[in-house]
Amino acid sequence: MTALPGTEVSVAGLRRRSPLLRAVVSGTGIVALLYIILYALYAFWQPSALSVFTFTDLVNNSTPLALAAAGETLVVISRGFDLSVAGVVSLTNVLMAVYPLQGPGGALVSLLMCCAIGALVGGINGVLVSRLGLQTIAATLGTMIICQGLSLVILDAPGGTIADFVTYSLTDTLFGVIPIAGLFLVAAVILWLALRRTDFGIGLFAVGADEQSAEFSGVSVRRVRFGAFVGAGMLYGVAGFMLSAQTATGNPTAGTPFLMLAFAAVALGGTPLSGGRGSLVGSILGAGTLMLLQKVLFSGGVSSFYTGIFQGFVLVLAIVFGSAIVRLLGKDAG
Amino acid sequence: MTAHKDVTMRLDAASDERGGPRIDREAVNTLVVFGLSIVLILCSRFISPALGSWDQVLTVLTLASFLVVVSFGQGLVILIGGLDLSIPALITLGGVLTTTWIGTGDQGIWYLIPLILVICAGVGAVSGIGIIWLKIPPFIMTMATSIVVASVALGYTSGTPRGGSPTALLWMMKAWFLGVPVVIYLTLAFILFGWALQSFTAMGRRLYALGTNREAARIAGVAVNRLELAPYAISAACAGFVGMMLVGYSNGATLRMGDSYMLPSIAAVVIGGSSILGGSGTFLGTVGGAILLTTLGTVIAAIGLSEGWRTVIEGGIIVVALLVLRGELLAHFGGRLRRR
Repeated sequence: MTALPGTEVSVAGLRRRSPLLRAVVSGTGIVALLYIILYALYAFWQPSALSVFTFTDLVNNSTPLALAAAGETLVVISRGFDLSVAGVVSLTNVLMAVYPLQGPGGALVSLLMCCAIGALVGGINGVLVSRLGLQTIAATLGTMIICQGLSLVILDAPGGTIADFVTYSLTDTLFGVIPIAGLFLVAAVILWLALRRTDFGIGLFAVGADEQSAEFSGVSVRRVRFGAFVGAGMLYGVAGFMLSAQTATGNPTAGTPFLMLAFAAVALGGTPLSGGRGSLVGSILGAGTLMLLQKVLFSGGVSSFYTGIFQGFVLVLAIVFGSAIVRLLGKDAG
Repeated sequence: MTAHKDVTMRLDAASDERGGPRIDREAVNTLVVFGLSIVLILCSRFISPALGSWDQVLTVLTLASFLVVVSFGQGLVILIGGLDLSIPALITLGGVLTTTWIGTGDQGIWYLIPLILVICAGVGAVSGIGIIWLKIPPFIMTMATSIVVASVALGYTSGTPRGGSPTALLWMMKAWFLGVPVVIYLTLAFILFGWALQSFTAMGRRLYALGTNREAARIAGVAVNRLELAPYAISAACAGFVGMMLVGYSNGATLRMGDSYMLPSIAAVVIGGSSILGGSGTFLGTVGGAILLTTLGTVIAAIGLSEGWRTVIEGGIIVVALLVLRGELLAHFGGRLRRR
């Protein structure tokens, strides 16, 4: 009893400090800061970086990865890994190249088709994991391989063309300033902010933090896991759609680089791979940072052969620092 | 928290009791996989008269030798509950270093081959260090090493590897002895060595202990951290060696030479009856898986199905094999909670 007053003070002090501290130290804050620093560096080496054109280009380049990373975040928060991202991106890209649908209506149908394919693959992952009890890595490895195989069946070598409307309008700007691709990211963020407050969103974090406690508190772990995979799959589908708009051609292995980069973006965005925490916004910024890093390295005179070295190190460093921050925050809170 | 721990311990105890019958099931699984390969080879006669002959069996075994060697390393990593995604990059590294450092002249081959294998093992050990001490999930850490190694190989060769195969490797892959390719004898020796290492040595038993229950292994006096490093180093060295074998087989190295071994290496282990959660499976089962997959590959190629369908079938087989082994997965549910 005597210890209580002191405890109260420190808890109250922490509470007062906490929101600010969390905002600055949280993954999202750090990655946002990192992005600004890198952008300043880019602008220093390449003064044209401050033009609308370069920024649009950067947003266009980052959008596919950002959407894929956003999807991956859903699964990682629920304490799982989803490797099918590589398969879904390739599959949707190949389909769009082989069956181009012209005009705005065609673009909408293509977008819906990409979403549907992603949802289907995500649903299969969800059933394999939540109904049949497979480990997340194992189940999604299987679906990734199958999707990659199907992509090769549909298009056995890079080729095909994406519908003109998709390639031109989705890489354009609105009123000459706002990149249209960026609107997809804004939509994803708004959906996430809304979703986070729903039962599903709360369940997602609960399942990731402690599956059994969540089950005991009445969260349907199965339904949440299934939902996370389906949502993730749909985002991968949209990522494949945006990638097609970007590259204007089909490639059966287009999705392969997304596997590592999506995890790097998630880790860089401050979502710990141990689940239960994290933010989709951080992952989107993480993806942007990774793409920006490539530009900065290039403008800094590093041969494009060696970008992989930096990507590998960024991935490892992001995870190490991310978990260190989680431990620090955990100490403060508890 | 305590309740959660209790559940975990009880489930582990349950899975430990299954130690006896599990050995039998592994043997049955191995026999089934080998049997399926033989049936497949015999049936392939109906597809094309060129198939199903003794020559075709030798071709299949030669092609399977690459997969057998990489799957040994992958199997050890999976045995301790990990996953090695750096195999293609290390195959390429082994191959590229062999052609550029040794080349056609065989100069210094006696110390360069071991040196290259040690370098590969060192790269694997770096993955292991990241996994053990930095607590990075295995598949992500090996993916990171993989992209770094691939990038180094790309930069080092400027995109096109130079040099050709040393004559010793050409001999190893092309020569025949008593009507059978030399490489098949060597693979057989490798299989016996690998089987003995995994199933009959103290180190092998400790790896099973580590994969079944890390905490219990630690309490039982196993130096878990140092032991966990070994599979990653061995796997990387095996991949490097396969790079050399491929150099001898196709007389040169390419930057994508390892790509087609990533998924089959995992598939061979899983089909061979190993749990993807670690702690079970034998190398003989994996060898069976590798031979079955290679047989299937040649039959698919003979039917005229494309690379894509082959991949789809491989993925399907992995999922089916995982589902068949599901009973075991549920028994290891405690392990899943602990390690994911």
